[in-house]
Amino acid sequence: MKLLIIEDEPVLRDSILEYLERQGYICESANDFKQALEKVREFDYDCIVADITLPLGNGLDIVKELKSLESHAGIIIISAKDALEDKLKGLELGADDYLTKPFHLSELNARINAILRRKNFDGNTIIRFNEITVIPASQTVLVNNNSISLTGKEYQLLLYFIANQRRVVTKSALASHLWGDEYDSAGSYDFIYTHIKNLRKKMLEANGEDYINTVYGTGYRFG
Amino acid sequence: MKLLTKTTLYFLLIMLPVFTAGAFFLYNRFNKEIKHETDEELLNDQLEWVRYLDTTSAGNPVFRISTPEFNIRPVDAPVQRKPRLTTVDIYQEPEDTYAPFRQLSQVITVRDQHYELIIRKSLIEKDDLVKNIIHVMLLAFGGLLVFALVSNWLISRKIWKPFYRSLDQIQQLQLNKLAKVIFEQTPTYEFNQLNSSLTSMTARMYQDYLNMKELTEDAAHEMQTPLAIAQSKLELLLQDESLTAAQQRNILLSYDELQRLSRLNHSLLLLAKIENRQFPVSAPLKLAAVIRKYLQLFEELIAEKQLTINSQLDEESEWPLHPALADLLISNLLGNAIKYNYAGGEITLLLTARSLQISNTSELAAIPADQLYQRFKKQQDTYSNSNGLGLAIVKKMADSYQLTLTYLHTGNVHQFTVTLP
Repeated sequence: MKLLIIEDEPVLRDSILEYLERQGYICESANDFKQALEKVREFDYDCIVADITLPLGNGLDIVKELKSLESHAGIIIISAKDALEDKLKGLELGADDYLTKPFHLSELNARINAILRRKNFDGNTIIRFNEITVIPASQTVLVNNNSISLTGKEYQLLLYFIANQRRVVTKSALASHLWGDEYDSAGSYDFIYTHIKNLRKKMLEANGEDYINTVYGTGYRFG
Repeated sequence: MKLLTKTTLYFLLIMLPVFTAGAFFLYNRFNKEIKHETDEELLNDQLEWVRYLDTTSAGNPVFRISTPEFNIRPVDAPVQRKPRLTTVDIYQEPEDTYAPFRQLSQVITVRDQHYELIIRKSLIEKDDLVKNIIHVMLLAFGGLLVFALVSNWLISRKIWKPFYRSLDQIQQLQLNKLAKVIFEQTPTYEFNQLNSSLTSMTARMYQDYLNMKELTEDAAHEMQTPLAIAQSKLELLLQDESLTAAQQRNILLSYDELQRLSRLNHSLLLLAKIENRQFPVSAPLKLAAVIRKYLQLFEELIAEKQLTINSQLDEESEWPLHPALADLLISNLLGNAIKYNYAGGEITLLLTARSLQISNTSELAAIPADQLYQRFKKQQDTYSNSNGLGLAIVKKMADSYQLTLTYLHTGNVHQFTVTLP
């Protein structure tokens, strides 16, 4: 999977590249509008992450260009502006998602993952992680070919873990992924623990391995 | 009081004394004129009578005439050179009233005999004349007054029309739509000046609004980017497997604090945006759907605390709110109702056509009224991580969109009510 990261802030760009490359993606980057346009015209990408405010141009124009090129690349817009107009305009132009800075790298990764799945296989893909099989089309989860029944939140949790496998995922990232940023959880993430506990229990009951490692005080690492 | 009513009233107040004074003056003039005429007639009569008496013989019965109009009798008084003119009231037997008469009296001498000659003329007919004159005059004045009032009203209405149009426009002004406001040209110099001032004022306001809007967005951008960088670096650092538990914990603490900072920044910008009315109302929105959405989103949090939800939602209840604001309203109020509740507590949601009531049980004491909607005022110290802006945002929203927000605390129940104007 080949990604293009268009971000003018070098430090942030490096962080994104580092995280995504470790997840197994081939990443290229562009640091201004002109460079981004050249790359987009020359190469094919599976997913493009574009900042809106760029030197020499606007990230939304890259979305327009991609659409005129009839590109099949997934597009995620990232912006420091939480301006609703930008968000709506981006999605209207054909972007697949919109993320406001600052974001969790794990969240960006999960979103890229979801878009790639949707784009490349029309959602008919099957996600495998050792003995775990997830069929997104029917939201079914099989462990050792035995179907287990998960609640909506447990299912989302599992997908998030698999997308960010072998990485430390913080509790706050999980909370904002599951409940959005609207719920100001007042610093207590205890409620996540229940969901983790239930998910772990259900997978163990199906003779699955315990992949959810608690990283003391920090969060969880899957796998 | 309307401008038109006021000008008409003032016009009336000024015109009334003028008309009264005019009527009074004319009445006096007529009165005087009539008296003068009568006096002249009386003098004429007197001359003719004297001339006639001079030619009659002493035994003429004329010297014994005594009527209200003519009276002559011999007297001893000395001759008066000049006739005396007075107004007298004479008793009228048939009508049993006194009637005004103009009277001429003079002692004259006819063939060495002194006579007092009294000639009278009734003023009743003249009185009627004056009355008639006054009637006609009042009618004319009244007609003039009515005509003046009506024409004044009509003209004023026409003249003030551009003013009322401008007023209408101002009342319908919306900050984010100022760019399209144009106050038209009128044929009146003053209104043109007013309108051109208004046009330049709204243009300036719009420019200020744009600058402010730009500033809020730029501020967000400038602050969020460094936050994003720091947060991403810490998240990467967390992945380092050689970290000790203590190091990891310190990184996580910094990471969480950064998020708190960014949420704070986000909330403050939101407050500014609501204050600037950057969330225009496009179409009325059904609030029941929003409530249901958040009940679902917070489902697990509610289940976790074993809260009982009693909800009675009017599906048709429509609110003039931007969708983003409706989300904020419900997520804040419902979020608080969950967060500050105790295990096994209750939340009651009551949505009617014009109001929304959210009440929840809580062990926390009543929020002091003076701190209720203050920024950064947190309830108790237990929730140190709450940014204390949630209610301030709801309050700001209520103030900016003419909603009424009330808080009531009874027993262990906290209740917030939002009411449409």
